[in-house]
Amino acid sequence: MTDFLNLYKAFLRISTTMMIQYRASGLIWMIGAVLDPIIFLVVWSVAARASGGTVGGMAPSDFAAYYIVLMLVNHLTFTWIMEVFQYRVQYGNFNAELLRPVHPIHMDIADNIAYKLVMTVVMIPAVVICVWLFEPNFVFIPWALAAALPAVLLAFLVRFFLEWTLALVTFWTTRTQAINRTYFGVLMFMSGRVAPIALLPGILQDVTSVLPFYYMVAFPVELAVGRLSPAEAMDGFMIQILWLAAALGIITSTWRFALKRFSAVGG
Amino acid sequence: MPAPAIHVQDLSKTFNVPVREAGVKAALRSLFKREHRDVKAVEAVSFDVSPGEIVGFLGPNGAGKTTTLKMLSGLLHPTGGTAKVLGHVPFRREKDYLSKITLVMGQRNQLVWDIPVVDSFERNRAIYRMDAGEYRKMLDEMTDLLDLGPLLQKPTRNLSLGERMKCEIAVSLLHKPQVLFLDEPTIGLDVTMQRRIRSFIQEYNRSTGATVLLTSHYMADVEALCKRVIIIHHGKILFDGDLSELVQQFSAYKTITIDLEEMDGINFTRFGEVVEIEGLQVKIRVPKADTPRITGEILAELTIQDLTVEDPPIEEIIDRVFSQTEIELEKE
Amino acid sequence: MLRLMAVFFRLGMLNELAYRANFWVQTFESLINAIMVLGAVGVVFSQTNTLGDWMVWELTALCGVYFIMLGGINMILSPSLSQFIDDVRQGTLDFTLTKPEDAQLLVSISRVQMWKLLDVMLGIGVVGYAVRQLGDQISWTDASLFGVSLLLGGIIVYSFWIMLATLAFWFIRVENIFFIFWSMYNAGRWPVTIYPGWLKWILTAIVPIAFAVTVPAEAIAGRLSIDTLWLAVGLAGVLLVASRQFWKFGVKHYAGASA
Repeated sequence: MTDFLNLYKAFLRISTTMMIQYRASGLIWMIGAVLDPIIFLVVWSVAARASGGTVGGMAPSDFAAYYIVLMLVNHLTFTWIMEVFQYRVQYGNFNAELLRPVHPIHMDIADNIAYKLVMTVVMIPAVVICVWLFEPNFVFIPWALAAALPAVLLAFLVRFFLEWTLALVTFWTTRTQAINRTYFGVLMFMSGRVAPIALLPGILQDVTSVLPFYYMVAFPVELAVGRLSPAEAMDGFMIQILWLAAALGIITSTWRFALKRFSAVGG
Repeated sequence: MPAPAIHVQDLSKTFNVPVREAGVKAALRSLFKREHRDVKAVEAVSFDVSPGEIVGFLGPNGAGKTTTLKMLSGLLHPTGGTAKVLGHVPFRREKDYLSKITLVMGQRNQLVWDIPVVDSFERNRAIYRMDAGEYRKMLDEMTDLLDLGPLLQKPTRNLSLGERMKCEIAVSLLHKPQVLFLDEPTIGLDVTMQRRIRSFIQEYNRSTGATVLLTSHYMADVEALCKRVIIIHHGKILFDGDLSELVQQFSAYKTITIDLEEMDGINFTRFGEVVEIEGLQVKIRVPKADTPRITGEILAELTIQDLTVEDPPIEEIIDRVFSQTEIELEKE
Repeated sequence: MLRLMAVFFRLGMLNELAYRANFWVQTFESLINAIMVLGAVGVVFSQTNTLGDWMVWELTALCGVYFIMLGGINMILSPSLSQFIDDVRQGTLDFTLTKPEDAQLLVSISRVQMWKLLDVMLGIGVVGYAVRQLGDQISWTDASLFGVSLLLGGIIVYSFWIMLATLAFWFIRVENIFFIFWSMYNAGRWPVTIYPGWLKWILTAIVPIAFAVTVPAEAIAGRLSIDTLWLAVGLAGVLLVASRQFWKFGVKHYAGASA
């Protein structure tokens, strides 16, 4: 166990140094990460004002709270592995990564954490400024906030494992762009980023409660913002844990297939 | 005497480069303060090249050859001195000038990676505004001379290194340039291909009278193509003249190779420095001035099958030129 | 200059035509993108009747313009300028600079991704459909103003992109600099007028999304003010000149010319 922790410490050190070097890239990414929720925040607030103050039971200040928390949660759970994996396998030295006695996923996790660590420098001021600009209506419910923390962690794990699995698709096809696009599109809608789930058409709402996307982002957000009852929270956690188990299963079996495929087809 | 094709006078180029160190602390420090230092890549270089000459630039990596070439092709602004090629000032990058020159860089391609070679040719044809007739003629000629037939329809990425270089040379000469700047054109190629490329360049020079400036650290390139050699090291010209002159000026030694019938008991060191003994053959290095005397002694005292007196290989001479310079610089 | 563009386009096209599979992949991607963008509009308008003072079909037309610009940029600008940035890093830019043709032109049109034309066509289709739904409100003046503002928007976007690309002469790691544009471009899916002042200003003056998407949409929706049009003309002119000067400055720096 201590070996494992030491490994992560070493990885984190390397990743953090690299991240400081690539800070410009990181900043550029953060612009998108901050802007995207703000766009929808504004859109929904405008819609609310045009409809007599609220839309779907939410006023502009509610949307502000929802989207500012979403900005933070999305930042904490997102990964970029799908975008870069194909490039890594095709042009990078994936062979070298496989020869190491450590599963390549660990380096990716370390990179991910390092990015988020370094970029808190941007995220925290961004959140503060947004709170000042948009006057969100935060409802502080102690148990909900406490519950939100493990929910975020679980959300991160579910999202990371599933997206890592999807990234492996590159071993079977070069059309990863199309797959990534589709995934991203579905994610935008079903993880509560285009709109809070409650505002989606009914059919979509039912589907979302079963699929993992809601649990990757919206679930911790709604918990933190105080929109869920204890019962709903319990249900949510159960399904989240189920999806985590499923994700672990999927990733281990897909990885095995991917390795076979990679050694058959080559780099 | 006709005007020189290339006229260089006191040409200099100094780069201001940032200084970087390793480690996290240094990385963070560099966020706030960037240190720089001046690097003199080329220092007061002067030479003239007549039209139709093939001149070789020799020097180790970082000597300033490529920088000089880049200044003459208009890519870099000199920090001092003047240069004129075909009557133009290169760094003004006049269209008229650019259409008369070509640049070839070994290991870098101007051929477009993903498209068939012939499409890259078409691209250049449009850029250089060649009319259909002259383009066709050049294309056919080069296809013949370089065996490009089976390669033309293939995308660049599907060609081997040698095939790519052939096509690369072809595409750069399509517009019949009058001055060729070749930067390490045969690097990484196998011996046969190197010879092929060299003879092609020679042929082009012979039939069009184009002036060729070639940089290389392959002696074979220079020996095959260039009568005249300019040696650059640390941005300064160490030698400018014929290859044979180089030998004369810088080699202080000659190598005597003796083939004997028997070797027992003979002490060769009294004749000179023994370089190598292989079977019944001995190589001795002797100071140039003493060569006639020592040769006489050997002939008189030993029974020989064969005796040859040679200059040391040119690489050795040049190596010596470089190491001499290093020693002098260290003394400074 | 047009002759050269035609040659490059033809070469790019010929190359792509060989890959028919890409046509289907692009169709798929364009459709997914369309569903995403229009779907979001759909979700919003399932809850409200107007956004700002934009009606649903006006917003649809806006999405159409969004696609047209997207297609245009991805067809020529993005691949060519990404190649340029790569060339600077690899040293192959030297080949471009020793050619007897304007380097900025060569660099801007060097690569063509033909199938992105599908996005442009999709956009035109969406705009056409939206216009039909808007009925007789749209006049021929609106249509021609639409064309003009699209052209002006294109010029403004081009100038902006080339200025970003020119930064490659100074900074080595600018491959994802265009990401700045794309992040902001996402905001262009909605009329810039709904955003709070500071954001509206950023999207107009700093990253000119407003002129790329909102203004042409206003034109075709018959809501373009003449002031905005003149502003677009002015900005297009200024940016075109400024970007050209910046480019020349960048080339000089690359060549190590002092000043």
